[in-house]
Order: sequence, then structure tokens, then C-alpha cells
Amino acid sequence: MIEEIIISGAIAGAVYGLLALGFTLIYGVSGVVNLAHGSLYMLGAYMFYVFGTLGFSGSEPLLASFLALILAVVFVGIVGSIAYRLTIHPVIGDEVAVMVVTVCLALIFQQLVMSIFGTSFPPVRWPEGSFLLISTSILGVTVQYSRILAFLVSLGLFFSLLVFITKRKIGKAMRAVSQDREVAMLMGINTERLYMLTMALSAMFAAVAGILITTSTTMSAGAWMWLHPLALSFSIVILGGLGSIKGSLIGGFILGYAEQIVAIEVPEGGAIVGVVPLVVMVAVLLLRPKGLFGKRIEMEE
Amino acid sequence: MVMKYFRRAYSSFAAHVFDIPPRFMAFLFFITLSLIPLSGLNPYYLNILIYANILAIFSASWDLLVGRTGQISLGHALFFGIGSYSTALLSTSFGLPVWITIPSAILIGSLAAVLVGFPSLRVKGPYLALVSMAFPLIIWRIIKWAPLTPIFGGEYGIRGLPRFFPLVLPQLRVAEYYLSLVLLFVTSIIIYKIANSKTGIVFVSILDDELASKACGINVTKYKLMSFIISGLIGTLTGSVHAHLFSRTSTPANFELTLSFLPIVVTFLGGIGTIYGPIVGAYIYSILDKYFLTDLLPKLLRDNLRMTLPSEFEYAKFLIFSLIVLILVIKWPRGLARFTTDKLEDLEEARDLDERGPRIWKRYKKKEKK
Repeated sequence: MIEEIIISGAIAGAVYGLLALGFTLIYGVSGVVNLAHGSLYMLGAYMFYVFGTLGFSGSEPLLASFLALILAVVFVGIVGSIAYRLTIHPVIGDEVAVMVVTVCLALIFQQLVMSIFGTSFPPVRWPEGSFLLISTSILGVTVQYSRILAFLVSLGLFFSLLVFITKRKIGKAMRAVSQDREVAMLMGINTERLYMLTMALSAMFAAVAGILITTSTTMSAGAWMWLHPLALSFSIVILGGLGSIKGSLIGGFILGYAEQIVAIEVPEGGAIVGVVPLVVMVAVLLLRPKGLFGKRIEMEE
Repeated sequence: MVMKYFRRAYSSFAAHVFDIPPRFMAFLFFITLSLIPLSGLNPYYLNILIYANILAIFSASWDLLVGRTGQISLGHALFFGIGSYSTALLSTSFGLPVWITIPSAILIGSLAAVLVGFPSLRVKGPYLALVSMAFPLIIWRIIKWAPLTPIFGGEYGIRGLPRFFPLVLPQLRVAEYYLSLVLLFVTSIIIYKIANSKTGIVFVSILDDELASKACGINVTKYKLMSFIISGLIGTLTGSVHAHLFSRTSTPANFELTLSFLPIVVTFLGGIGTIYGPIVGAYIYSILDKYFLTDLLPKLLRDNLRMTLPSEFEYAKFLIFSLIVLILVIKWPRGLARFTTDKLEDLEEARDLDERGPRIWKRYKKKEKK
């Protein structure tokens, strides 16, 4: 029991951290609360299915699957940055308008998916017979290789983002813009292009998280699947503090463990798991209104 | 050349419109609405108007909180759902009449507003929006939870709520229409009175600059909570009335995100932070949605082009509204009706200038063109 909670909580926590990473990144850099983040997650899963069915026949099925993953992630990144440029960019700076616009985007993506795919649930899974669907045993808990892959990829992406943001020039520019936009502009940073890049990066993280989570849990996509990840990502981000990268990983682990404890210990807990992140978030906000590592708030002019 | 005459004609028209006081316009509007059922309209179309009235009240309650006090709420479905479920539970399990269940639902709703308001007051800006979005999602999940099905009815909700009036169909719809109209009238007057009182001015000052209002010695927390309670109260009222009027069921759909988003669509169609905005928006929305897209357009296509719309069109409808709101927010962030009235006011100013000094006006116009 305890082992199961430890292992599956760690896996869920790492993937949730990845999911929240994109949300916190775009907020930290440009101050946009992107409520379409869950839709980008959904779009990632759907695109993985679409590019998978296109079939790069003749090649190895697993290789084709990875190719589909990369194509889907790049596609969602492009969609994210285009959506940013067309809709969020004109209203940036106005909080209410940004939120209304992103909710609109989320609903548009959902309705688009509904009107294209109908009410069917397309399968989002690794190809049959690949080693990713085989289970192994860690500490006496059976775990599929796909979940281990999700865990490793999430941690890998998280640490590569940390390195990117501290060592590379663009990463440094991102941090500079998040600290002070005007001064960063005076230093010759093209903030508009940087925002688009950040949005693309954030959308790509959402898409990767979407594919990894869907392939290791439900294995099918649906038009309503964006709601739970959105709730999750904003709970994690508020828990860890908006705009804090470290906070998103720690918040992800907290919620991952909390969810697993409820799912395993509470009878009929599977259905109520969706409430856990929201309740944890409200409880934390009552105690600490800024979250655990919050930075970019209380900015009184 | 033509444009010049056109503009002159338009500005003289605007002058006549502006000579009518707004109160008289509102009076005229309500008189027209109350005369509609006398024309013997089909009960189906009356349904659309009842829906528009309910939606207008709901959107007005959202607008009071967001458009006037500036507390961004993305979870207004919470109050709608609480109203709907509390009246359903009271009337089906205790057999209470409608005239008792709705006031008690409103009481429960204002209690919920206090409970939600307190944690929400500690946070602001994006945090507040996200927290407010969380509450209806929490209740939505709990209501659908399997062990609670005997109480809340699970996925299908609670059925068999009583009607307002024990009448047969045509008269029933007319009576219900008048009920919704009276409710709309009363809530509009209440919101108008609040907006023009000292409290309303304080609300707007919180929207403009919270820090400055604090510095003026205003107890910001008290007024924010007050705004939450008034808004929640009216929202609960609409939820409970809607549950008795339409399909007489309370389903988990009453807590869905789409419903939280509906008042935003409606208010942006009309105009944010106004009395008439939600009403105009609600009428535009319901006539477009329930009449034009579900009734008129399929009929026209069937008769003229022998075409039937695919069943996916049901989903595409909300897509159209989302797109409209997206364009509205980007192009005219203050709403469609408000944009029009602002334009009219600009024209009136221009007319004043025109009368006072044509030369100054011309110079001003030239400068503007540059």
C-alpha cells in the first residue's frame, strides 16, 4: 500500500509538474494567465492520435510513434504561438480581457475537436507489442514502462528548462523580462518575439504532458479531457506560487501524492480524485495567500 | 459629399434620440415587452423570451461583481447551481411549495456567497479568478460522486420539480413570462439603485484603484463582500427560478464551466458595467441561439436548398459565440451596445462643435485626419 502510494505518487507528481511548468512559465514571463493551457494539453493528445494514424508505414511502429509525438508537439507549439499572436497579444496587459480571451480559446478548441471527431474517443496509446506496454516491478509494485518513461521525460525536461533559463542567452532574456519588462526592452530585448517563443515553449510542455499522461493512464482522448488538467495546473501553480518554476515541481509532487492517497485510501475514491487539487489549493490559499513560493504579485504601483 | 449629408442626417437623428430621457426609454422597453404575449405568440417563442429574461438577470448579477466592483469571477455557475439544487431538494424531499423554496434557496445562496467570499477576499487579480473558478468545479464533482447519488441524483440530477402555476400550457407560458419579466424589472431597478447609491460609487472606486480607496478610509473588504453577497443572491434567484421554469430538473450541468462562461458572453455582447448591457446582450444571445440558429436557419436551408445541418452543428453553435466574443473583446473591449452608445455620444459632441463653430470643427477634423 505505502509502496504503491510512493511510486505512483512520484510518477504522477513529476508529470503534473511538467504540466504546470508551461502554465507558470508564460505567467512568469508575460503575466498572461493562460486558461487555454488544458486545451493545448488536449490538442497534444489528439494530434498524437492524428499523426499516429497517418502512419509512417514501413518503419518501426515505435519509431513512427515517437515521430508522431515530435510532430504533434511542434504542431501544438506553432498553434500556441499563433493563437498568442492573434488573440492574446492585442489585449495583453488587461487581466480580465486576457482571461476572457483564453477561456474563449479553450472553448473554441473544445468545440472544434467536438465537431471534427464527434463524440468518439480516439485511442491515444503506444503501438501494440512495444516494450512500453510491458510491466515491470519496482519495490513489489507493478509499473508499466510507459509510466517510467513519463517520469524520466518529465524530470529531464524540467532540468533542461532550468539549465536553459540560467545558461542560455534567450533564457536569461526571459528572466530579465519577468523581472522588469521596461528595463529589459531598453537592453534591446525584443519582448514581443520573446513572448511568442515563451508561449510556444509553454504549449509544447502542455502537449508533451498531454501525450505522456494520456498514454500512461486513460489511453483515449475526449473533448472534455482539458478540464481536469487545467484545474490541476492552476492548483499546482497557485500552490507553488505563480511564476515560480521550482514551485511548480514541488506543487506537482504534493498534488500527485495527495491524489494517489485519496485514490487508494478512500472507497470509491477514483471518481472524486478531481476534487483533491482544488480543495488543497483553497486550503493553502487560506493559510498563505501567495502560495508557497509566489513572486510576481502584490505589485502596487 | 454623400457622406457629409449622411453624417448630418445621422447626427440630427442622434439629437432626437438623445432628447428622450433614458428612464422613458427603459419604460418604453418594458411596456413593449409586456405587450408581447397579447399578440398571441406561439408558446415556443415565448419560451425564448423567458429564457432571455432569466439570462439577463443572471448576467446582470455577474456584471455587478465584475463590471462594477472589478472582482474577476469565472465561476458564477456556483450560485446558479446552488439555487437550482437547493430549491429542488427542498421541494422534492420536503414537498414545500415554490413560494417557500425559492426564498430559502436565496438564503442558502447568500450563505454560500459569504463562505466563498471570505477565502476569495484574501487574494486578488489572477489568483481570485482561478480560485473562483475552482468552487463550482469542486461541487460539480461532489454532486456526481457515486456514494452521494441517493441525495443528489448523480449524473441525471433531481427531477419532477413543481411548476409555478397550475395552468394549462398557453396561459401557463404567458403567466411564467410575466413572472420572469417582473423579476427582470425588479432586479434591474435594484441594481440601478445600488449602482447610483453611495455603495455603488464605492464599488466603482474599488474597480478603479483599490489602494486609493483604502487610503480614503474605505473598508474595502466589507464592500467587496457586500458585492459578492448581492451578486450571489441574484445569481441564486435565477438558478432557482430557472429550475422551476425549464424542464423542471436540476442537473450537474448547472455547475459546468460553460454556464460560468455564459454571463461573460452575454455581458460582452451588451456592454460591461452598465444596466442595459446584460439585458441587450441576453436578448441578442437568446434570439440568435434559440431562434436563428436552431429554428430559422435549419428551416431556411431545408426549404430553399434541401439541405439538413449535420448533428455536429449543435457543437458548432457555441463555437460561433466563442468566436464572436473573441472578436468583440479584441476589437471593442467594452461591449457592442456600449460601443454604439459611445459612438453616439461622440457624434453628439461633434454636433455641439458643429453648431458652435464650424471653423473650429473643420480644423479639429483636419487635425484628427493627420
